[in-house]
Parts: sequence; C-alpha cells; structure tokens
Amino acid sequence: MSDRGDVLFQITDLCKAFGSNLVLDHISTEIRKGEVVVIVGPSGSGKSTFLRSLNLLEMPTSGTICFEGRNITDKKTDINKYRQKIGMVFQHFNLFPHKTILENLTLAPIKLLKKSKEEADREARELLRRVGLEEKESAYPAQLSGGQKQRIAIVRSLAMHPEVMLFDEPTSALDPEMVGEVLQVMSELAREGMTMIIVTHEMGFAREVGTRVLFVDEGVIKEENNPQNFFEHPSNPRLREFLSKIL
Amino acid sequence: MEDFQVKFYTNFIKDDRYMYLVKGLGNTLAITFLAVLLGIFLGFLVAIVRSTYDKTGKGKLPNMICRLYLTVIRGTPMMVQLMIMCYVVFGKYNVSKLIVTTLAFGINSGAYVAEIVRSGIMSIDPGQLEAGRSLGFSYSQTMWHIIMPQTFKNVLPALANEFIVLLKETSVCGYIGMMDLTRGGDIIRSRTYEPFMPLIGVALIYLVMVMAFSALVGKLERRLRTSER
Ligand SMILES: Nc1ncnc2c1ncn2[C@@H]1O[C@H](COP(=O)(O)OP(=O)(O)OP(=O)(O)O)[C@@H](O)[C@H]1O
Ligand SMILES: [Mg+2]
Repeated sequence: MSDRGDVLFQITDLCKAFGSNLVLDHISTEIRKGEVVVIVGPSGSGKSTFLRSLNLLEMPTSGTICFEGRNITDKKTDINKYRQKIGMVFQHFNLFPHKTILENLTLAPIKLLKKSKEEADREARELLRRVGLEEKESAYPAQLSGGQKQRIAIVRSLAMHPEVMLFDEPTSALDPEMVGEVLQVMSELAREGMTMIIVTHEMGFAREVGTRVLFVDEGVIKEENNPQNFFEHPSNPRLREFLSKIL
Repeated sequence: MEDFQVKFYTNFIKDDRYMYLVKGLGNTLAITFLAVLLGIFLGFLVAIVRSTYDKTGKGKLPNMICRLYLTVIRGTPMMVQLMIMCYVVFGKYNVSKLIVTTLAFGINSGAYVAEIVRSGIMSIDPGQLEAGRSLGFSYSQTMWHIIMPQTFKNVLPALANEFIVLLKETSVCGYIGMMDLTRGGDIIRSRTYEPFMPLIGVALIYLVMVMAFSALVGKLERRLRTSER
C-alpha cells in the first residue's frame, strides 16, 4: 500500500474463534508507521475482535502478528511491556472512576515507566492543555461529559508515549454534539504522524483523515483501498450494499 | 419503683457485679474486632483467588481449596465450628479462649466476607480490567491499583454490616467458657436468681451498640455516595 514508513504490524493468517464461531478468518495485512487505517463493516463482522487481537486483549486462535519484526503471539513475548507501546481507546472510555483526571493520566507512567510524580504531572498537564481540559485535572471522571471523558481517555493513552493508537468506535457512545471535539483531537493526532487504527462509523472522518480504509465482513478483509477509491469506486458487492445503507 | 432500685442494686452494684458486664463487653468487642480483621483478610484473599479463576482460569487448585472452605464454613453451624475449634483443633493445647474464639469467628466471617467481596469484584465493569491491561499493567497490578480500590469502596458498607452481624453472633462463645457480654449477664443471673435485670440489661447493651454502628454505617454509605460526584 503506502510506502511512507516501515512496517509496524505484519499480520499473517490471523484467525480467532469463540467456540465454534470463527470470527476472524485468515486475516492478512500490514500496517506501516504513520498510517491512519480506518476499519469499517457491519455489526458483528469482527472489527473489534481484530483490533483487540492487536494488543492481545483477544488471544489469536492461529496465525501470527509481528510488531516491529517480533512475533508477539509467541509465548516468550512480555505482553505487558508490549502493551505499553500500544495505546487503546474504548467506546465506553473506561476511565478510572476512583482517580482524579490527573491521576488517570499519571498512574501508568509513574508505575510502569517509573517516572517521578513531578515529571508525570508535568507531562500530564501538557497533555491536558493539548485537549483543552487543563482546568479539569482535579475533577473525577463522573464530573465530565462524554466528549471530555473520551478526550481524557485519549491523552491517558498518549501519556505512555505509544507507537500506535487503537480506537474502537471512540465516538459511538457520545451524544452527537460531542462527536466533533473527539474527532478533532484524533485528526490532530493523525496530522502529527501518529500511527492509528480506528474502527468507526464516521465515514466523513474516514474519508478525510484516513490513509487507508478496510472493509471487514464475516471475519475477512473484503476490500481495502485509499479513501477516495474506497468510497467512490467500491468493487465488492457487500461493500456497495454497506455503503449505500450507511451514506 | 423501690423494688426496681433494690433489684438494680443486687444485680449490678452489689459485689461489683457490673464488672461481669464490663469485662464481658470488653471481650465481646475484642473478639468482634479481631475476628472482623481476620475475616476481611481471609475474605479478600479468597475472593481474589476465586475471581481470578473466574476471569482468567488461573489457579485451579487454590480455587478448589477456597470453594471447599466456603462450602464447609457456610454449610455448618457456627456453634459447631466454635466447639470443633476449641475441643478438636486446640483440644490438646492450652491456648487462650480469646484466641480460640477469635480464630473460629474470623474463619467463619471470612467465608461471608469472601462472597461479599467477590460479588464486589465481579460488579466492577470489565472495561476497567481491559483499560488497565491495555496500558501495560499486569493482572495483579491492575487488581491492586484499579480493581480493588473500587471494590473496597463498594463493599465497605457491607463489611461494616458484617461487623454488626458478628457482634451479635459472638454471644454463643460462652458455650466454650469464654467470658463475653452474654456470659457475663448469665453469671449475674446465676448468682441472683433473677433473670430479668441482667438479661434485659445485656440485650440493651447489644441493642445500643448495634444501633450506634448502624448509624455509623448509614453515615458512611451516604459519604461514599456523595464523593466523586
Ligand atoms: N468474548 C466473546 N465470546 C464469544 N463471542 C464473542 C466474543 N467477543 C465477540 N464475540 C462474537 O464475535 C463476533 C464478532 O464480534 P465483534 O465484537 O468483533 O464485532 P464488531 O464488528 O466489532 O461488531 P460491532 O460493530 O457491533 O461492534 C460476534 O458474533 C460476537 O458475538
Ligand atoms: Mg465492535
């Protein structure tokens, strides 16, 4: 596909079954540094399962995922170390309700990256400023709106300086008026060169910010293309049907 | 009225009989307090083992031991457990009754605390574990920093209630010769041959303590509900 950067993920014949239900069916693709890959597809097609396989929240049934040339599905991989490099943003934010916003951001850097509290606080405040929420640092998650929570969730991941960010429907749980503020943060992140893999139903965002769009259906990548061709010249009939319903 | 004064005098004042109640109350509170601590320790341990097995499938043998413990403790009467502890487990040893009683009640309480805590852990949104893990925390780090603090807060009122339940339950420890509040009142009764005063007195002391602790628990619950909002 794009020849912009080094290969970050090399995914080969990735399969995931829940019992007898084969959810991912021999998925192979590669993801390069700096790409913004948008994954679309009908409900239940395996988009979340694919994304969650990338940071091993789901253990693949078979196949390999190589990250920077190292097979992370190998038993010898230190999963916790690996996950520090992979940021994940969830549909339902999953902020830590018993911690203040600042503590949400600094917990992992202090405990895992062994940063001093002062350094972690300083970096966290910088990140909060970036998303315009610096005055919320001593608030608790329950005091924030959905859009604010999701922006915090994004910078909580960024505080670990990840090499990739995974987003699983980051705006699907938001009231419509809050979708924009989260997409804007994501667009800025993309502009700064962050490698991102995003499951979303926001087709406008996919078209404008994405560098590549994947159509996942029945556990298979049925089509992948740059956004322009993906939306204007879809070839797979299931994709055409999907787009006609959604656009 | 005069009759009441005379009876009060013979039952509580004469020969310093109120000291039976004072000593007994001291022991009752000591047993309850120590047993609750032991119960909370055991309960959290068992709950973590059980929920770790439920969530990750790890620790099959510890989980089985915990289930056996829960089944036996919750399936047999407290009195029988107390007597077994006293006459079977420590039958040959000269161990203080306070220790025997505390162990028996602590081990018993642990089984009930375990189920309180386990349901507390299970009620935490699974997204919390996923968020912790995806930041790079190990399972035990996530439990320690993220899951257990939330669980503890959620179950604190139920744990305080366990204290109240235990406070009343310890009244059976007189059977193995432990000098607690109930036993204290009973000794007075056996000296004065007047059941009314000492037993009603004992009942009132329990009632006042339970009401006081319940009020505290209520306050605690309201406090927890309003924080972080
Ligand atoms: N933990 C699990 N156990 C069993 N089945 C699961 C599990 N997780 C997902 N599935 C099944 O896998 C299939 C794909 O699920 P997945 O969540 O990946 O779909 P999706 O494309 O993200 O859908 P949506 O758009 O609704 O989020 C579904 O049939 C789902 O029921
Ligand atoms: Mg999904």
